[in-house]
Amino acid sequence: MGATVLAVVVLVVLPLASLLLGSVTDEGRLTVEHFRRAFGSRLYVTAVRNSLVLGAWTALLSVALGLPLAWAVSRTDIPFKGFVRLTANTAYLTPPFLTAIAFVDLLSPNAGLLNRLVRDVLGLPGLAVNIFSMSGLVLVTVLHTFPFVYLLASSALESVDASLEESARMLGAGRFRTAVRITTPLVAPAVLSGALLAFVNAIALFGSQAIIGLPGRIFTLPTRIYALFDHPPQYGLASALSLVFVGITVLALALQRRYLARRSYVTLTGKGPRPELAALGRPARWGLLGFSLAVFLVAVVAPYVTLLAVSLSKSWGLTFWQNLTLANYRFVLFEYDVTRRALTNSLILASGAATLAVLLGSLIGWIDLRTHLLGRRLLDYASLVPLGLPGIVVAVALVQFWLRVPLPLYGTLTLILLAYTARFVPLGVRAASTALGQVDPSLEETARIAGASWGRTMRSVTLPLIRPGLFAGWLLVFVPAIQELSASILLFSADSMTLAVAVYNLYETGYLEPVAALAIVNMLIITAAIGVATRVARGGAGPERGVVAH
Amino acid sequence: MASIHLDGVSKRFGSTAAVQGLDLEVADGEFVTLLGPSGCGKTTTLRLIAGFVKPDAGVIRVDGAVVSAPDRVVPPERRNMGMVFQNYAVWPHKTVYENVVFGLEVRRVSRQERRRRVARVLELVNLVGLEERYPSQLSGGQQQRVALARSLVVEPSILLLDEPLSNLDAKLRERMRWELKELQRRTRITFVYVTHDQSEALALSDRIAMMHEGALQQYGAPREVYWRPANRTVADFMGLVNLLAGRVVAARGDHSLVTLGAGHRIRVRLPEGFREGQDVQVAIRPENVRLTTTPAAAGPEPGTAVPARVVEATFLGNLCDYRVDLGDGTPLRVQTHPLETFEVAQPVYAWFDSVHCAVFHS
Repeated sequence: MGATVLAVVVLVVLPLASLLLGSVTDEGRLTVEHFRRAFGSRLYVTAVRNSLVLGAWTALLSVALGLPLAWAVSRTDIPFKGFVRLTANTAYLTPPFLTAIAFVDLLSPNAGLLNRLVRDVLGLPGLAVNIFSMSGLVLVTVLHTFPFVYLLASSALESVDASLEESARMLGAGRFRTAVRITTPLVAPAVLSGALLAFVNAIALFGSQAIIGLPGRIFTLPTRIYALFDHPPQYGLASALSLVFVGITVLALALQRRYLARRSYVTLTGKGPRPELAALGRPARWGLLGFSLAVFLVAVVAPYVTLLAVSLSKSWGLTFWQNLTLANYRFVLFEYDVTRRALTNSLILASGAATLAVLLGSLIGWIDLRTHLLGRRLLDYASLVPLGLPGIVVAVALVQFWLRVPLPLYGTLTLILLAYTARFVPLGVRAASTALGQVDPSLEETARIAGASWGRTMRSVTLPLIRPGLFAGWLLVFVPAIQELSASILLFSADSMTLAVAVYNLYETGYLEPVAALAIVNMLIITAAIGVATRVARGGAGPERGVVAH
Repeated sequence: MASIHLDGVSKRFGSTAAVQGLDLEVADGEFVTLLGPSGCGKTTTLRLIAGFVKPDAGVIRVDGAVVSAPDRVVPPERRNMGMVFQNYAVWPHKTVYENVVFGLEVRRVSRQERRRRVARVLELVNLVGLEERYPSQLSGGQQQRVALARSLVVEPSILLLDEPLSNLDAKLRERMRWELKELQRRTRITFVYVTHDQSEALALSDRIAMMHEGALQQYGAPREVYWRPANRTVADFMGLVNLLAGRVVAARGDHSLVTLGAGHRIRVRLPEGFREGQDVQVAIRPENVRLTTTPAAAGPEPGTAVPARVVEATFLGNLCDYRVDLGDGTPLRVQTHPLETFEVAQPVYAWFDSVHCAVFHS
């Protein structure tokens, strides 16, 4: 128990306290200088504004994409619903920095394939699109975040008790009036909550903001904080900016919680019949199907096909298919020595973080649910705090803390492991609490009365009963951990390189083709991991399971 | 205030026939209950009447005008009916007042008139003073009243009720039962009520339509359905019943004779279609069998006495529950007034009154 408290303190409380301290001190003296600079300099105010603009547009467009798809799947008789679900899941699980790289391959001003096509082949330079812009950034981000709205909206639309709508019909309201007066207010909280989740996740994505934003000189909070770590590092200012970042995130999450709480509307009864599916006319049917297909093409087909094509070409361009080669794969797998190290590191880190997060989560969950220890709620809350911390902020906080401690952890794999564990411990706590909540305490009490010690009871009763839930939780941590970039980017060294960082670094060197090959290798590993995850967890790893961004 | 006619109405969902060839007529101002186990088609029938479900065959008329046919269905919002759902379906995002006034707004009733009518209907269902509350601040019984008020305020000609009391606790259920009955009597609205609770059906209805596997089994007044069930399904569903194997020895209408297991003859009323020598089942409810210690007449209309022996006796407070053996091991359940007591192993006589014996083909 003491060890559990200590772990939470070391992982979350102390780093966060160091972050706070670091933001208001300078070489041991109290100061407001960091905040003054954060709010006084155009550089940082612009970054905050860009983050907010990015978040707002992403949230709005996530609704524009997610809501029609949710409605189509939950309330209409369109065919191929499984295909829409697949689109949403794949879009969510694709690492956003890979999507960003793929869109750079397609739409970068000079080398982008589509741009070359319209300019050199069609002779229509006016149609060229510059991905290195706010619109480009929003596009790439939305493709990752619209599933949040889709998922929350479709579950709300499906669980609205049909009798609430039928009552309105009986009272003389037609379909349209019923949709406006009854259905819309009932599902609005869920849609809004999805939009806020999209917002929080969008602004936290370091990879896409660096890949798309930096060439376009669009700085956001994560990229500004990242830049402050260049020599000479300005930890104090980075801490102050991090706190501003946390403030925005926590505010959005607090709003989201409020709206989600109001979703109790939808599950209030739930015993009635399921809503009837609207029989669509031909134009609406084809319109919706076309829309779904378009989302599928842009969100899934375009990035994967592009990366595959780039990875197989000798030189990416309009005639890439004339010179196909496996050389890029040979290079990244056998010649580029970083790959193997990064792969080993990422596997160790992901499985280590998953194990620690679930172990710690089980202990915290058990203490919260089964004991009356003073402050057990506090422990629970502390372990959920990382939900409100963007990945890069976790990294800043850990750096702030471990630089003050006389232990040479900076640049080691251990520090990255601590960062991952801190980031994903909320997922472990949730998985374990859910599993534990379903085991009646009397099952444990029976074992104790039968003479088993606490340890024996855990071993032979509790653990076997919650094992499936814990394993699902393990995979829920493993999947985002193996593609983690936002925190790793500040913490890695040559020895503690991870997969995502390797892809990013290789991208920075400017060779498109090997990057694509490494991206595909990365995707295959993630797919294999998710394949195991879905088989074991049976529920799939959809956005509803976690709020943690990459 | 309207009458309803269903003519040969059928509805399939996939491979299951939810309703098959249903004929039913509900008179203006009548309280009719559709009764049956879950999956018997009663709710589908209600939704057919409401217009949420389109019939595969048959016609539904209201006051003589066709409202549902396989090719044409008047949508629910144009039927001027009310409907109360099992889960109340009170809108959680609207106050009591907003819930109730909705139908009047749809009908473009003037603001003053709306106020007046909502106030009146809230008084009718005892909800005065709760206008500004949200449903989450109301008890189950109060939510049920809101649902009722919301349906009644538009003065529907027909009110459809889908197990409206089943989510309430037992005490409240009984009280709401009285209130519903009283409400129907006062408003003279035609009620079609769906339930699987036979005591609710008996207490409320002018007529009960007993359904099973999508087909109508019996349609009649509560007493008729209870005492003279048309078949074994109805007898079983309406409450505890003894089913005794027997054989017809004399088929003479109301004065027919049937032998039971050990050869004892009882008098029964045989419907058409039975002949001598045929194996039958005699159904009689436990409370309709009388026990005596002597074979002497036990009342003004005695029926037939069969010698028996008490096997088990249970005191239940408001009644005594006995299991007796009719001589050949045939068990018979009997419920008596708690003051009439018999001992286990005591020889007794079980009396069968022909009025209370229903005979089915076995």
